[in-house]
Amino acid sequence: MRRRRLLTGLAFVSPWLLGFALLVAWPFAASLYWSFCEYDLLTPPRLVGTRNYQRIVREVGGGGPLGQALWNTAYYALVSVPLSIALGIGLATMLSWKVRGQAVYRALFFLPSVVPVVASSVLWIWLLDPRSGLVNRGLNLLGLPAQNWFKGPTEALAPPGWLEFGSKDALVLMSLWGVGNFMLIYLAALGEIPRQLHEAAALDGAGRWQRFRHVSLPMLTPVIFFNLVMGLIQSFQAFTQVYLVSEGTGEPAGATMLLSLRLFLTAFQDLEMGYASAIAWLLFVVLLLATAALFRSSRHWVHYSGGGR
Amino acid sequence: MPIDRPPWYAQPLLGLAATLFAAPLLLLVLASLKPPEQLVEDPYALWPRQWQGSNYPRAVSSMPVTRYLRNSLILAAGSVAGSLLSCSLAAYGFARLRWAGRNLLFGVLIATLLLPWHVTMIPRFLLLRELHLYNTLAALILPTFLGDAFFIFLLRQFFRTIPEELSEAARLDGLSEWGIYWRIILPLSRPALATVALFQFIASWNDFSGPLLYLSDPRHFPLAYGLEQFISSYADQTHLLLAAAVLFTLPIVVLFLVAQKVFLQGITTTGLKG
Repeated sequence: MRRRRLLTGLAFVSPWLLGFALLVAWPFAASLYWSFCEYDLLTPPRLVGTRNYQRIVREVGGGGPLGQALWNTAYYALVSVPLSIALGIGLATMLSWKVRGQAVYRALFFLPSVVPVVASSVLWIWLLDPRSGLVNRGLNLLGLPAQNWFKGPTEALAPPGWLEFGSKDALVLMSLWGVGNFMLIYLAALGEIPRQLHEAAALDGAGRWQRFRHVSLPMLTPVIFFNLVMGLIQSFQAFTQVYLVSEGTGEPAGATMLLSLRLFLTAFQDLEMGYASAIAWLLFVVLLLATAALFRSSRHWVHYSGGGR
Repeated sequence: MPIDRPPWYAQPLLGLAATLFAAPLLLLVLASLKPPEQLVEDPYALWPRQWQGSNYPRAVSSMPVTRYLRNSLILAAGSVAGSLLSCSLAAYGFARLRWAGRNLLFGVLIATLLLPWHVTMIPRFLLLRELHLYNTLAALILPTFLGDAFFIFLLRQFFRTIPEELSEAARLDGLSEWGIYWRIILPLSRPALATVALFQFIASWNDFSGPLLYLSDPRHFPLAYGLEQFISSYADQTHLLLAAAVLFTLPIVVLFLVAQKVFLQGITTTGLKG
């Protein structure tokens, strides 16, 4: 009976199990092995010890292209994730107000997140053109200086300074436009906050801001945590828009060369599968450490109501 | 009750935010209807000098749209079928059956959600190439028949809400597990299955990195990848490019407007009940 139940269970999950073995577990092990190999696809992989990793350390330490890619990726993640959390919560809070046209607003805020990345890249490259783009025009009308968004030729000569925006900020802007997914999750979480909590706080004389700060925000921390972890993973994996804005070159001046693009080019342009696998593992380990740190810290700030979840 | 009253600045603030979110799409549509000279001479004009609808047929005829569209539809339909079948089977195994090792395997499945695709990209590519799938749409469709952790999770959450008594009664009536899955659970799970179908359709329609990796012959390109070819070869024809981007986005927008409820529920379940 136990045995039969086991076999039935395995039979149902077998498609996934096969996929896990072929497309996840084996590739996972193979890329770890290849990261210690030289492998150009033409000849079989040849073990070279830690040479690929030494090369990574050299390139990162010497400020080479890989070091720049690592920095770009960190910058993109560290700017886009917190901003998307703030914007997601802000929009969700606005949508929780009982006003006319609520459903229309919700649809408008969400819609950009389903626009295909290929189309939204075309759109933003056009809008953010440093010379004739409408975003810079809008900034000018507001009395603000124009920015070197995509393909600003001077970005190659001088990187953007403090409060000046460059290509990576343009990528951040694109990601913020697609914040709709997380916004909906925040909105649902706001709706699940027990009414009595707000009523009690209001009776104690708490104003709107105080209720947001001391009731809503603590109740949202599980979602914020989820958003941090998923947002971090997504920003490390961002590829399509990064590839499209520079047609796969990382220009201007390597400013949009993120690790994912570097990895792709190393593997499929330079055909250095061993070195590319090592870069993939570097990315994986960095992400793993960051996620682990988030999980550790979550004990101190994530508030789970009602005990078990 | 005072806590229900929105602040006085609610409408202006929402209006401002809505304008900022909608403006890029509106500007895109307006610009796609401008004559090409206007885009160059007067890039800041919001309104078309004259409505040039002919940008659209010209954009369509400047690339093999019928073939790209056919490939996109094959890719999306195949992937939707694959995901629905493989993910509902696995979700049934995880949600409705008790067997040794179930929770362990489910933990493994959840862990794969945190695994970045880079780590498996190269071996996966070489494996599919070994199987002679390189440069075929099958390289992109077949993996969907082997399950997707996110969709399995979504369906499992839904299957668990179906009362166990239904399964018990069916078992007493002599129905096999397969029969319960096929004749009871699946028909009751239409909303969740619709969510998976919708998300998979959009993922396939929008997918760019898959075709970039696996397809080299333009005969197999789906629209998303064909459009990129168009970007590099028509860099100076902004009006056509913008029109093509509008056409490519349109089906997704229509789908969203038609199936808004499915979208909103799907995203909320996966995010909250984690």
